Amino acid sequence: MNETHTHKPSIIGFLCTWCSYTGADLAGTARMKIPAEFRVIRVMCSGRIDPLFVLKAFLKGADGVMMMGCHPGDCHYQKGNYNARRRYVTLNNILDTLGLEKDRVGLWWVSASEAPRFKQVTTDFADTVQKLGPNPLREEIYL
Amino acid sequence: MSKAVKIQQSTEDGLRSFFESLLQNKTVKGIFTLRKTNDEGGISYALITDVEDLKNAVPLYPQMPTNAGKILSDFTLLEPIQEPVAAVLRPCELRAFTELVKRNHGNLDNVLLISLTCGGVLSLKSLRGGNGTKDLSSYWESVGKADLAPDIRETCNTCVQFIPQNADMVIATVGQKDMDKECTIFATTPKGEEYAQAAPGSTVSEEMENEKTQALMDKRSEQKATSLETFKNNQSGLKALIKTFAPCLGCHGCRQVCPICLCHLCDFDSKTLEYQPVNVRSELNQKGGLKVPPGNIFFHLGRMSHMAVSCVSCGMCSDVCPVNIPVATLFSTVGDALEKVFEYVPGRSLDEPVPEGTYKEQEFVEIGEQ
Amino acid sequence: MNSTHKDDKSEGMAGKILPAEDGITSAIITFLKKSLEEKQLEAVMIPSKIPDTEAWTWLLLQDESLLASCNPLPPVMTVQGGKALSNVTKHGDLHEKVAAVMRPCEVQAAVELLKLKQIDLDNIYLISVDCPGAMPLQDYMADPEKTAKAFEEAFSTWGENESVRPICQICHQFSLPLPQQSAPSDNSPPKNEAKFPAADLHIGLIGGDGTNVFLIPATAKGQDLLDKLDLSAEDSMVNWESKVEEIRERKFNKRKAADAEWKAKTEGVDNLAAVFDDCINCHNCKSACPVCYCQQCYFDSQLLQFSPESYLGRAEKRGSLRFPLDTLLFHVGRMSHMALSCVSCGACEDACPMSIPVGQVFTMMGNKTQDYFAYTPGLDRNEPLPLQIFKEDEFGEVETPREGAEAPAEETEKNV
Repeated sequence: MNETHTHKPSIIGFLCTWCSYTGADLAGTARMKIPAEFRVIRVMCSGRIDPLFVLKAFLKGADGVMMMGCHPGDCHYQKGNYNARRRYVTLNNILDTLGLEKDRVGLWWVSASEAPRFKQVTTDFADTVQKLGPNPLREEIYL
Repeated sequence: MSKAVKIQQSTEDGLRSFFESLLQNKTVKGIFTLRKTNDEGGISYALITDVEDLKNAVPLYPQMPTNAGKILSDFTLLEPIQEPVAAVLRPCELRAFTELVKRNHGNLDNVLLISLTCGGVLSLKSLRGGNGTKDLSSYWESVGKADLAPDIRETCNTCVQFIPQNADMVIATVGQKDMDKECTIFATTPKGEEYAQAAPGSTVSEEMENEKTQALMDKRSEQKATSLETFKNNQSGLKALIKTFAPCLGCHGCRQVCPICLCHLCDFDSKTLEYQPVNVRSELNQKGGLKVPPGNIFFHLGRMSHMAVSCVSCGMCSDVCPVNIPVATLFSTVGDALEKVFEYVPGRSLDEPVPEGTYKEQEFVEIGEQ
Repeated sequence: MNSTHKDDKSEGMAGKILPAEDGITSAIITFLKKSLEEKQLEAVMIPSKIPDTEAWTWLLLQDESLLASCNPLPPVMTVQGGKALSNVTKHGDLHEKVAAVMRPCEVQAAVELLKLKQIDLDNIYLISVDCPGAMPLQDYMADPEKTAKAFEEAFSTWGENESVRPICQICHQFSLPLPQQSAPSDNSPPKNEAKFPAADLHIGLIGGDGTNVFLIPATAKGQDLLDKLDLSAEDSMVNWESKVEEIRERKFNKRKAADAEWKAKTEGVDNLAAVFDDCINCHNCKSACPVCYCQQCYFDSQLLQFSPESYLGRAEKRGSLRFPLDTLLFHVGRMSHMALSCVSCGACEDACPMSIPVGQVFTMMGNKTQDYFAYTPGLDRNEPLPLQIFKEDEFGEVETPREGAEAPAEETEKNV
């Protein structure tokens, strides 16, 4: 009944338009590969990322969830990424305190020109997540 | 050393005398405090304006039907009170009110804040049914001895913030063994000192925090540590979380009574988070089964992400839960962890910005650059 | 199609008999499993126990193996079934044939919600079950094993059990409403003219002695489902019908007595205030209620937000003012909004943390107001809600001022 889970981890990435999405795009045009099923959800700014987006993706069974934005000080909207950082810290501590797999959720600053960095962080994260195995929440009915 | 007024009456009678004089001198227009609604043990908060009605006031009754901070917030939501009103609040209720004021959901103008060193409140379930007035003698005996009181809320048992920080006046109860003869009210701000002049008693200098309050502090800290240990061992991990919230009906009563949850329309009641048929089908196909209504854990974790950093551990949520889920214990534990990370104490100071929506440029610098 | 509305009284309704050698639950689960396997149904919504716990929840399932932890009649009603079904079909048809197996009051709530446009029943087969009642939720939470055991006894004491919730003890809608068979006399319970009974299929347990389960189609849709499954030959349900009627009459009388009792207990502001004295305004009752569907309740809205001066003024007028405000306004106001659709399910009473008998009070009010409009909620899908329609010539008696009307009472009540 349940789909056969592929061995490639599924990762959802919330990428801000001005930095990380552009960086990802650059990596794409340079044909850099990521060892994961990577889905991008583009937002204007990392400050738009509602913690509920990340929670929802995590609870639906994404093996990994990435929040990405501009380096602090470089936000196109001045301070959105600072808010994103705090929201990530909040989520991270909630998951940690409750003993849920906090390592499946992360935050990375990737600028528009940092295509190699984009490939690096996504590859590293895919590796981390691969080692954790499939997210048990994917099969969990009684959530 | 703090200034205090000593009234030679029992603590409760002394308070009533003080309130009487405040109302009679027209120093305040009303006293907001706990009040008997009948002779069968009914208690609720009330704003008392008539001196005659003060005989029904029971300011120290160990019951919290609603978090008073939430009520004061509703009271002063649209605009500040124009005339002075005295309000008796427990430390956590005062902290909740402070948190709400910081979020523009309340106003402190013209409110005389009277709090107390707090021995805790009895759980609503232990008071349910109103079968006559509950026998409070063992409760007050424990409080007088600065012991852990029986049958109080779990969050009260582990509370180390029972000495209020931002009140104008503080009624001494913890460690006071002569509460049947004496009433001690500390004046902890200039405003408090001014109002204290209306009290029918003599002024003394005394320490609000003493070895008795410290004794209770130690006991409570121990309980807190034990509670955290138990939590880590028994309620940690996905399986445990699902078990804890398994009986949840999704009534959202916890959110309704929470003083920090102020949204008029909660995200989790809004259309945005309702399941569309396509969502139901996709999850049903993915897992073979879907709990209905869906989104139970999502609601609780989501609510944590919204308010846990300001959780004042009042315990209303656990008390209102129809299926006895220890919501308060979980939220308080997560709240403590978040407060540590942000170096924030909810209700500690009006000048301390709320962690949500604010930031420091130089903080968590290692995050994001890995 | 075999009609379920026989004119000849002696034949009664027709249905199929399902042997239940391994018990009622097993028989029903097997029937559902068969329906899924033969693709007559694509999914089932039914109560399920959550593994490793004593907690019950609704489960919408496609995977038959999940039926192992399911039971159409758990000892408690957790989330009201109509509300649960509305939760997943509010925004439209699931486009899958789903059987929702529920208690009769939950089916009624689902139909009421249909009229309120909060549910989509297009591909839903509503299956009701003879219901002995449900146990008080707080009893179950305190001691699940003991309460579950006490619940078992309810199946052999139909209509007489005193451990099920008080609201269940007076429930006369515990089974399928039967077609009108004779004009009711003044004292007998109304035999519902079920042109469009609430459920599509009903599972009868009464009179089966635990060894048989009756499958009774109530609509063409239900009949169709039964026909497609190759079950045993059809049989007359006369035995079941007569037993149901007997129990129904008994419970109807209990209901009338309870109504009179609660009317007396709540008559006058003082009495009403006393019943709701412990209320902490948590609004759990409203949240649990299946027919209270407003996204934001009027009583939570800013429409009831006033200035501190207004509150202070009210307090000064009475000498003191209870907070949170307007407890009675909330309850009586909620009655005025939903009493006509109250299906007496008791979800409100189960959810109350202060053990206030909300359900029993609202049931009394529901009965009175519904009688006034000769309306039964959740029965006939085509029967409009009383406040959706009007007749030009009706209720003339309320338009004439009564003689000797009294002046309004002074505002002295502090505990409202």
